[in-house]
Amino acid sequence: MNSTGDIALSLDQVTKRFGAVTAVDRLSFDVRQGEVYGFLGGNGAGKTTSLRMVLDIIRPTEGRIAVLGLPPGRDNAAAIGFLPEERGLYRNMTAIDTIVYFGRLKGMSAADARREGLTLLDRFGLSANSKSTIAQLSKGMAQKVQLATAIVNRPRLLMLDEPFSGLDPVNQGLLEDEIKRAAAGGATVVFSTHVMQHAERLCDRLLLLARGHKKFEGTLDQARDLLPARLSVVSRQSLAALPGVERVEEGAELGGGWRECVLHLQPGVEPGDMLERCFAAGIALRRFEEHRPSLHDVFLHMVGPAEARA
Amino acid sequence: MRKILLVAAREYRQITRMRSFWLTLLILPFAFAIAPLAQRFMGDDEPRRVLIIDQSGGDAGRALQGQLELEHGREVLNSLSRYVQRHKLEGADPKALWSQHDRWYADGEVRRFNAQGGSAPALARLKAHAPEGTPDFDPPPPDYQQVPVPPAIARAPASELDARVQPLLKPEGKDAEPVDYIVQIPADFSRNGAVRLWTTGEPGIRFAATVQDVLTRSLRKTWLVANGTAPDVAEAASSVAPSLMISKPPPGGGAKEAMLVRSILPLAASYLLMMALMLSGSWMLQGTVEERSNKLLETVIATVTPEELMYGKLLGTVAVGLTMIAVWIGCGVVAAYATQGAIADMIRPALAPLTSPGTIAAMIYFFIAGYLAISIFFLAVGAISDSMNEAQGYLMPIILAILLPITLLIQGVLEGGKGIGVTILTWVPIWTPFAILARLGTGIPAWEVLGAGLLLAAFVALELIMLGRLFRASLLAQGQKPGLSELISRMRRQDP
Repeated sequence: MNSTGDIALSLDQVTKRFGAVTAVDRLSFDVRQGEVYGFLGGNGAGKTTSLRMVLDIIRPTEGRIAVLGLPPGRDNAAAIGFLPEERGLYRNMTAIDTIVYFGRLKGMSAADARREGLTLLDRFGLSANSKSTIAQLSKGMAQKVQLATAIVNRPRLLMLDEPFSGLDPVNQGLLEDEIKRAAAGGATVVFSTHVMQHAERLCDRLLLLARGHKKFEGTLDQARDLLPARLSVVSRQSLAALPGVERVEEGAELGGGWRECVLHLQPGVEPGDMLERCFAAGIALRRFEEHRPSLHDVFLHMVGPAEARA
Repeated sequence: MRKILLVAAREYRQITRMRSFWLTLLILPFAFAIAPLAQRFMGDDEPRRVLIIDQSGGDAGRALQGQLELEHGREVLNSLSRYVQRHKLEGADPKALWSQHDRWYADGEVRRFNAQGGSAPALARLKAHAPEGTPDFDPPPPDYQQVPVPPAIARAPASELDARVQPLLKPEGKDAEPVDYIVQIPADFSRNGAVRLWTTGEPGIRFAATVQDVLTRSLRKTWLVANGTAPDVAEAASSVAPSLMISKPPPGGGAKEAMLVRSILPLAASYLLMMALMLSGSWMLQGTVEERSNKLLETVIATVTPEELMYGKLLGTVAVGLTMIAVWIGCGVVAAYATQGAIADMIRPALAPLTSPGTIAAMIYFFIAGYLAISIFFLAVGAISDSMNEAQGYLMPIILAILLPITLLIQGVLEGGKGIGVTILTWVPIWTPFAILARLGTGIPAWEVLGAGLLLAAFVALELIMLGRLFRASLLAQGQKPGLSELISRMRRQDP
């Protein structure tokens, strides 16, 4: 556990049980300030439970949590922004009143919350709808207002639970921009998702959860390194005997003796090493392409296909 | 505390923006405004037409007619007294009957008033004294109108009378007016005492009582004279009646060890508490269910604790209830002191005894404590329900459990409030506020007010703890309708 002062969020051996069900099991991780940190896992992995414990909506059965250096609680609500997975707003409140209300609950003055709320509505293209009630807005507009309620206080720690679920492509793009903007402004962003592409694009580091257990924590590259690389090669000779090759999938005959194949490398063998060995063995190559595993591949590898589909 | 106030303010704004809130709020003032009009339209101002066929010699018939005129004179005198009191015109003649308010005018006094010309000479004196702009006195119309006996009826033999009066009761012709009451006093009335009364419908109790009273006196007088009593002695004997002297504590005071407000206000406060509670409780329930069904609870409780949310909601609802009561009382005060008429006459004396700070404090305490005690149930139902349909299922038995005993309680209080049932309900906290408020009107020992008040405070504290836990444990538990054991388990759970 990192004990330096740049830790925005820290969980230490945290367990949460609901009766006989263990939702989160001895989970430990640190999120550094300014990081975009992804919480990956299928349904029931423990992502939402973990975020709820961080927000003090529920309490851990065991373990310790530190949020911006403090125990979980509403005392640091002024520095936290939260967008839950299940979203909704008061239907009879206007857009601006909704943002001001949540801003004030986070300790802002009414004037500051209104000023920041109007800026956000302007940025989201909703200036003309600031006095419309939520019931009068389209679903996409209401989603933008919900996002505004989460970031109106310019949080130092922004937590988003499955933020992309239910969003249309335009709002997904807007949300990605806001996450990048918050991170660029120095905020720490923690978000849970089971859509790997978002995590690949946004996260500095990742945590992979399955059935409440931590399966992996690290950077995207470190995650990819968990799976051996594959090489797409066109040559005349067989490469199966080369050291570092785990197996070869033979492909199509391309004429003139040239044949396509896919090389599966042994763990720890770099594509560059293999290229050197080909040259050293005098093997002529017409194609040598590296295929790195995607996060989705890593996820499937770590949790298994059944868990990934959950 | 800041967050509680923010939640309360939002709750208050949400409810007060509802159309149903404004409709409810304005119902009572509207009722005050239209009451005099409604009274005029609903009431039957037309006098009842009375025909008296006196075949016994005329004394009994004249006595009956005189009594009907006397009663009308008493009504005019009462009305004139209220007019003088309302416009503070006693200075015109402080010793006049109409300057003596809130008392029973004896027959002799009314006869004197009628003999002096009724209201006309009084009004002449009052007009000279009344300030500019004082409205005119509007005397009540007579209740009865004497109809002369048609000759054909007067001469009809007894055997034909039944048939001959029918055209009078059900006359033909568009403009023909029926006679409402026909009284036949037969020639042998003094011997067998039988009298006949024909009516167009159910006879009025007051009219029947007057006929009974007057003719009883007539019979007694005749019997006494027939048995050797001098006519003047017989007359005096038939009219003799006890003079009932009533002693009661002065308004607003009385026994030192009891709290007593001689007014309809405590009972009205009990009713208002019930009405305001049911309405604002339903609105709060609706709001809580909306928070759950709109899935915005998680957003809210990420910034406020469930306890802050609960206290804020309760505070907002109490504020809504107090607003409603304040508006209604304000309208009542305006109706009492800025308007004239029957409503003002009814409310003004009800408000007058409210001068004791202790009584006012007791009323406010039980009102607010009662509001909290019952609102918490609505809030708990809202916290465990995913839809209004589900909420109604939980709410119906709760409302019945609260309201049914209150109906019996108010009935018990109206009958004197001394029954054991009323005492029991006073000491059961969910009914304590209604019982105490209602019993203030009939008098309740101070120790009982204090004891029941302390018990109620303890009950509200326990409710806040137990239902607070239920509220917290239920907020995010969706999709599962909890049974009784699960509800009890949630109330015992200390950690979320």
